[in-house]
Amino acid sequence: MRLLDDPAGYWADLTTAEKGVLAVSLAFAAFLFVALLTGRLGASYFMFLVGLAGMYGLLSFGLNAQWGFTGLINFSVAAFFGVGAYGTALMTADSSPVAGGFSPVAGLATALVVALVLALLIGIPTLRLRADYLAIASLGLAEVVRLVVLNERQWTNGSAGLRGIPGFFDGWPVLGTFPEAMPGLRIEVIPGSPVLLETPFWQSALNVLLVVTFAAVAYLVLRRAHRSPWGRVLRTIRSDEDLARALGKNTYSFKMQSFVLGSLIMALAGVFYAHLNLYVGPGDLDPITTFYVWVAVILGGSGSNRGALFGGIVVVAIREGTRFMGDLPIAVDAAPLRLLLIGLLIVVVMRFRPQGILPPQRELIWPSAVEDERAPQRPESGVRERKDGDSDE
Amino acid sequence: MSENPELLPKEDVVLRVDDLQKAFGGLQATDHATFEVERGTITGLIGPNGAGKSTIFNLISGFYEPDGGTVTVGETDVTGMEPYQVAERGLIRTFQTPRKLEGMTVREAMLVGPRNQPGESFLSLFTSPGSVGEAESKNLADAQRILEEFEIDHLATQPATDISGGQMKLVELARAMLAEPEILLLDEPVAGVNPTLAKKLEEQIRRLNEQGTTFLLIEHDMEFVMNLADPVIVLDQGHVLTEGSPEEVRNDERVIEAYLGGGA
Repeated sequence: MRLLDDPAGYWADLTTAEKGVLAVSLAFAAFLFVALLTGRLGASYFMFLVGLAGMYGLLSFGLNAQWGFTGLINFSVAAFFGVGAYGTALMTADSSPVAGGFSPVAGLATALVVALVLALLIGIPTLRLRADYLAIASLGLAEVVRLVVLNERQWTNGSAGLRGIPGFFDGWPVLGTFPEAMPGLRIEVIPGSPVLLETPFWQSALNVLLVVTFAAVAYLVLRRAHRSPWGRVLRTIRSDEDLARALGKNTYSFKMQSFVLGSLIMALAGVFYAHLNLYVGPGDLDPITTFYVWVAVILGGSGSNRGALFGGIVVVAIREGTRFMGDLPIAVDAAPLRLLLIGLLIVVVMRFRPQGILPPQRELIWPSAVEDERAPQRPESGVRERKDGDSDE
Repeated sequence: MSENPELLPKEDVVLRVDDLQKAFGGLQATDHATFEVERGTITGLIGPNGAGKSTIFNLISGFYEPDGGTVTVGETDVTGMEPYQVAERGLIRTFQTPRKLEGMTVREAMLVGPRNQPGESFLSLFTSPGSVGEAESKNLADAQRILEEFEIDHLATQPATDISGGQMKLVELARAMLAEPEILLLDEPVAGVNPTLAKKLEEQIRRLNEQGTTFLLIEHDMEFVMNLADPVIVLDQGHVLTEGSPEEVRNDERVIEAYLGGGA
């Protein structure tokens, strides 16, 4: 790890934007930590927020794999999210009219298969056409999926939604009983405001474990793919599809792979959400989710996985942070303010930094090839020589 | 395939266009065009504006589907194939106005060139990262070598969006070479390129041709074509008007008439 070996060199190698993001993130983390210690922020609510941030991170990763990599305009993020959530809920929930009671792992598999089928259904007719057609079709798809879920009550319970979804780890050895088995902890750093870590906290911690696992897997897969010749073809398609075709790339197939990959990651976020919230309803398919995720990706920097994650966290921070606006002495309701703030943010970013806050900044060549290339002239010692080879994005 | 006794298959023909037709509405853009490109030549395709040169390029490379006639690359009939399938048969083309690849360095843009890279399979990235890395190392070294031969290796790590249009044309040609084409179709390689770079492009095309690459090029710059190409094919209103050495074409009255706008 560069960061641990040579923190000063690591810092010096960062771009201004990276330094800014790192500083803001650290400051924000410190702020949350203080809020935790003083008891202003409940420990289990904090973990819930982390879970939510991870979920938005996943959704942004998914959209980034479509829009950021390949330039595919997908306006049905909420639909793939919803298909993921309903896919697992219908398999696992007590109240499922279809097939309740299965293990969440079966739910996960079902959700991914349904998302795959949906992605193929919408991709096959539109991905041969110009980018605009996918945009239009996906806009329609989102609404179709929402209305089917709302109206086909014999399959989905309609507007009542699905209750009684088990936690993802329920029934697993060790992890299934982990929240109850953990002793309640009472940490008192500041006298008079103890931090209580009890069963709900450990339950949330498990959820965080789940979403961090999903997000880490998605991130590692996307990072490798982004730097590869595969990712390079996608980026070529984004700039000039005809060029990619003229160079012998089957662009339809590449676009389909990118679309399916992104859709599966979005469904993963939905699976997590169902087991976090333990309830899903048609309201979870509202197009506002699509809008939030687009904001996150554009804000973070289209094409950048780190940017997508960062954008996702910012959106959650605003979404949840505005809940506390009520505490402030201003006579505005929090909900409209939330949209106003996000709207304002996106205008400011587009005006002053249209490429996003953390756009992909470095050359994307398969890492081992770059190392091979510089191997002969590599100096004997020093950590800085890996400057480019070790870079992300 | 239409029967044409004059066009018996020759062994050294890389590209054969036989009786190709394409209409856009009422406009016959390609009107029973027939010609061949022999291996090892630099064949020029000229003609007045609107003669259908670009249409023919798009028909050959699979971007348009012909109304009739056939296109054969080597031994394979590629009529109606997708552009990527035509490219897989070794026919690579460039574009009049290359778009710059956003967010890529010049050498990254070069690395899109090689065909059938193992790293273009998503699964291989995880099942056999070793072979992906090996191929990438080889391609990177090849890209560097070709950039050096083109004397533009100093641009390798520049953002592709920062180089000039003329340099981009050189990069495009260099990238096309990484695809190891059987035949390379160049669409106006020196349009909008300053004379120094145009000279350089000419030298490069000549050098690559001497090393065995076959070229078919469209170009408006007469001097450029007449210097470089032999034979030259003249198109007018979608059909082949005449074909021959630069000398013959230059002195052909029909060609002069077509260019001066007569005959209509």
